[in-house]
Order: sequence, then structure tokens, then C-alpha cells
Amino acid sequence: MLNLNKRSSDRNSSGVKSNHPALVFDPRLCTGCRTCEMVCAQSHFGTVSSGKAAIRSLCLEEQGKIFSIYCQHCQEPLCLEVCPVKAISRNAEGLVCLDSKACVDCGLCIAACPEGAPLRDPETHQVQKCDLCKGEPACVAACPSQALRYGPAKSPSWIRFPRWAVQAVAFFLLVIVLVGTVCSLSLGDFNLTCPVGFLQEIVASQTIILATIASALILLVLTVFFGRVFCGWLCPFGFILDLVGRFFPRFGNPKILRARQTKYSVLAASIVGSAAVGHQVFCPVCPIGTVCRSYGVKDFFFGSGLAVIPVALALEIGEKRNWCRYLCPVGALFGLMAKVGLMKVVIGAHQCKKFSCMECAEVCPVGIVDKEMLREGVSPALSMAECIMCLRCVEHCPYGAAKVRLKGQAVRPHGVEGFSVTPVTGTSREPSS
Amino acid sequence: MSEELERRVEQIMTESGVFRCVECGKCVVGCPMAKMYASFSFEISPRGVLKKALLGPDPMKDESIWFCTECNACTETCPEGVSCRDLTAGLRKLAVEVGMAGQGLFCQHCGKLFLPSHVMKYLEERLGKVQWQFLHLCPPCRRERYVLLNS
Repeated sequence: MLNLNKRSSDRNSSGVKSNHPALVFDPRLCTGCRTCEMVCAQSHFGTVSSGKAAIRSLCLEEQGKIFSIYCQHCQEPLCLEVCPVKAISRNAEGLVCLDSKACVDCGLCIAACPEGAPLRDPETHQVQKCDLCKGEPACVAACPSQALRYGPAKSPSWIRFPRWAVQAVAFFLLVIVLVGTVCSLSLGDFNLTCPVGFLQEIVASQTIILATIASALILLVLTVFFGRVFCGWLCPFGFILDLVGRFFPRFGNPKILRARQTKYSVLAASIVGSAAVGHQVFCPVCPIGTVCRSYGVKDFFFGSGLAVIPVALALEIGEKRNWCRYLCPVGALFGLMAKVGLMKVVIGAHQCKKFSCMECAEVCPVGIVDKEMLREGVSPALSMAECIMCLRCVEHCPYGAAKVRLKGQAVRPHGVEGFSVTPVTGTSREPSS
Repeated sequence: MSEELERRVEQIMTESGVFRCVECGKCVVGCPMAKMYASFSFEISPRGVLKKALLGPDPMKDESIWFCTECNACTETCPEGVSCRDLTAGLRKLAVEVGMAGQGLFCQHCGKLFLPSHVMKYLEERLGKVQWQFLHLCPPCRRERYVLLNS
């Protein structure tokens, strides 16, 4: 049976991870001439009847939409799982191959494919599937408008270098060089105050020191402009999590722990608690503050407030950045700011290959790319309150679908207009004559 | 059963060549249903469906017609060219017309019959308990949905 919780790391060891070049279609360039269908049938069967082709141009004239349906060679092919005669297999390169000799044309692969990509010849009922023509697709060569392209998938993997560099420098500065912490740091005339610590301080002492308002606002304004870049690029504790997290086992969180709202409660509780107690209640156990307060290596291991660090590190088992996802009140406050922020990370529906790739969902450290949506064939919208702007999705997307945009910029709609699917209630429904 | 229905069953059987069957059983050999259902038996095999159509009074009322995937493996091996697919498809269509499509699944968008529930059960068995909407759409509607999602 198909194991939906399988991760790419497991796939690497047990199965094949495809690295073959991909066939990419751009609907903006397609004119619907159907040359691709004809050359496909021509090169495989020696006839130009487009019903035999393994690619199909679909023109929805009412909606003014045009698209090509062809096999995407999924990482986790559903057709392979359901084929009763084992005619579908993945070869060493990760191509999903259909053995036409073994195939009995039962069409179960079509019934399992989210896209309905294996195509049935209306005359002979034969099932056809794109085989990428052994590396030289005839449709790509023949496409007059270059709407079909074929080539190695490219992802801007260089993003990781500036990110790691910035994280390391920020860690070095905040923890080792600068005396003071991110909680309250001064470098000459420049002041930086943790906004959560600042809020706790206000309610605890019931006095506002005007000078700290500006320094507390620095990080908030940064978040409004660029999203939660502090969490993804600057936070010293996040850097530790990113470093050690690579060696932790990943098996997913139990459902009961997946309440992202918890961190807002922690934020509210720490502010209310500070007001009640009269001093900052969260700051002494804050992992970020604790890391910052440990001056040098000796204090890093023997500092006083290190109690919460093992807990936060233990949370890292199972999923990446669990502390940041569910509990960190600093992240919660930045999340509220990022909600009204000017930036967004989007997964463009045009380029995204959805269920066949799911690379972004694999690499997202805060797990906000909804895998189930991708499996349905929908490019999910990302919640900017949760996104830590690490840009790993942009870095790994082979098709350039994940990108950073301004809040107001239009992107492809994430829903299906004019196509309603009623939720399944019974096993059958009366046909609407 | 009215005479009209009887005549149409007769027509389906003639068109699919059921009367040419020599009962060699080769159709069962290549049938993918054997690998799909643990409960595969003579009853639901192409030969069983064919025999019931020949003998029984109301072949479209029988549940055994709702297992076939409508491939063509049986016809390819049949020495007489009997098409069990056409027989099953015809009987299913008739069953829907007379309101006995208890085992048929209809596309959630266009409402056409597209898969028997037993085949869906097999799919769910292979894929795990999944709640994907696309599984309940017929292939043309599914492609249309994908196009609308993408362009």
C-alpha cells in the first residue's frame, strides 16, 4: 500500500529520486494548434490521429483556458500503486514507464491519476502515457510557439549560501561578539530590543521608557517589510535548530500537537503573567535569550537558564523547527506583524508541478506547504504568519514556481472557479440525466 | 421484465458476441480482476458474467457485473472474439437506465457513470484511506479541473 508519510529521505534510500529533465508547459504561449498531439502519434505509431497521442491539448473555450495534459512522472506515482498487472514501473532515472506488452488497458491508472494523464485512444481503447521519447521529445521539437520546453530542472540552489552565511554571522555577532543580547542590545548609539521582552517589561513595570520604543520597533518594522526574516535568517536559536536538526530523525508530529495557535497563547500568557508577577516571566526561559546571554563557549554550556533549551531541542525530534512552529512567542508576535506585512511567498499555479514533485513541502522547515492540497492538484496558498522567509521552497523548486512577491501583486487563483465538487456522501449518486 | 428490456439485453448479447462463446475459459486467465480482488471467483469472472447473461432472467440486476474494469484482456485471448467488456458495459448502462445502479459510481461533476464501486474499493485499498476529490471525478472532468487549476 502507498505510504503517504514517506519522506524524500526515505525515498532516496529505498526507491529512486528522479533527476531526469522535465517537460514543462507554459499555457501563456500555447495556441492550441495540437501539433504536439500529431507528432506524438506520428513518432510512436506512424499515424497522425491525435487520439493515439500521449499528450492532449485541452481548450476550454468558455473559460478561455488552455492546457496540455501529459504524464508528469511523479515522485510517488499513484498509477504504479494501482496497476493490477504491474505494467507500470519506475526506471533507474525515475521515469514512470508503461510496459505496453503487459498492459491490459484496464484504465485504473487513469482512475488513480490526479490529472487523468494516461490517455485512452477513443478508437482502440489503448492506454498511452508519455515516455519522454528517450530524452528527445518530439512534441517539444515540433511545438511552433515554444509552449513546451524540455530540459534539466533548475533551482536557484545558491540561496542556501547567503542564508547560512547570514545565520552564522548573526549568531556570531549576537552570541559571542556583542555584549548584551538580542533581548536588549546596544552597539554605540544603536539599540535593539526584543519586542516581546519589551511588551513584558511595559506591563511588568507599568512604565514606558521612550528610548526603547524605537529599538523595539526595529525588528517589528523589519518584519512588516520582509516577513519573519528574523526567524529564518537571524535568530541564533533558529540557527542552532537548523544545524542540529539535520541529524534528528523525522517521522512527523502526532495530530494532537499540530496546534499552531499555541504560540499566540504563550505570547498572551507571558504578557499577562508579567503584569501579574511584576517582572518578565518568559525572558528567563526564552531559548533565544538564553543562547544570547551565554557569553562564550563556557557559559553556553553551563548558563543558568539552559533548562528550556533541551526541551526545545527535544521538540526538534519528529519535525523541523517544532519550537518555532508551535511555541515561540517571539515568532508569534512577528507572525502577527508579517500578517499585515508587505511580502508574500507564493507557489505559482502556472509552473508548479504539484503532486508529481512536492519538493517544497519536503523542505519547508515550518511545514506550511500543504501536501494534501498538492496531491489534489492545487498550489496551496502560504500563510505568511507561519512562513519564516527562509526561502528554502524558492531554493529547491525545480520549476521556479515558488517565488517572493509583494502583497498586492496578483498571482494565479488558488481555487477552482466554476468547478464545484460536492463532498462525497454515499457510494453512488443518481445521474443527472 | 418487459419485452422491451428483454429485447435490449438480447441486442447487447448479440453485439458482444456472447452466443459464440465456447466456454474454453481463456478469458479468465488474463483477467486483471484475479489480481485485484481477494474474493475473485467464477461468479465475477468474465465467464461467470457471460454465463449468467446467457441463463439468468435479469443479468443487469446481478451484482457480479459491477467488478469488471472494462479492459479488453479477455477479448484479446478469446478464440471467438467475444467481448465481455461490451457485454458488461452494455448491461451496466441498462442497469442505470432501469434504476438499479446501486454499485455504480457517478462523476461528482458531470454525473456520468464512470467506475463501479468495487473498483473504487480496490483503488482505496491500494492508496490507503484517502479523501482526494479527484478520485470522484471521471477522467474528462478531472482533466478539465486540472486545466482550470493550472492556467
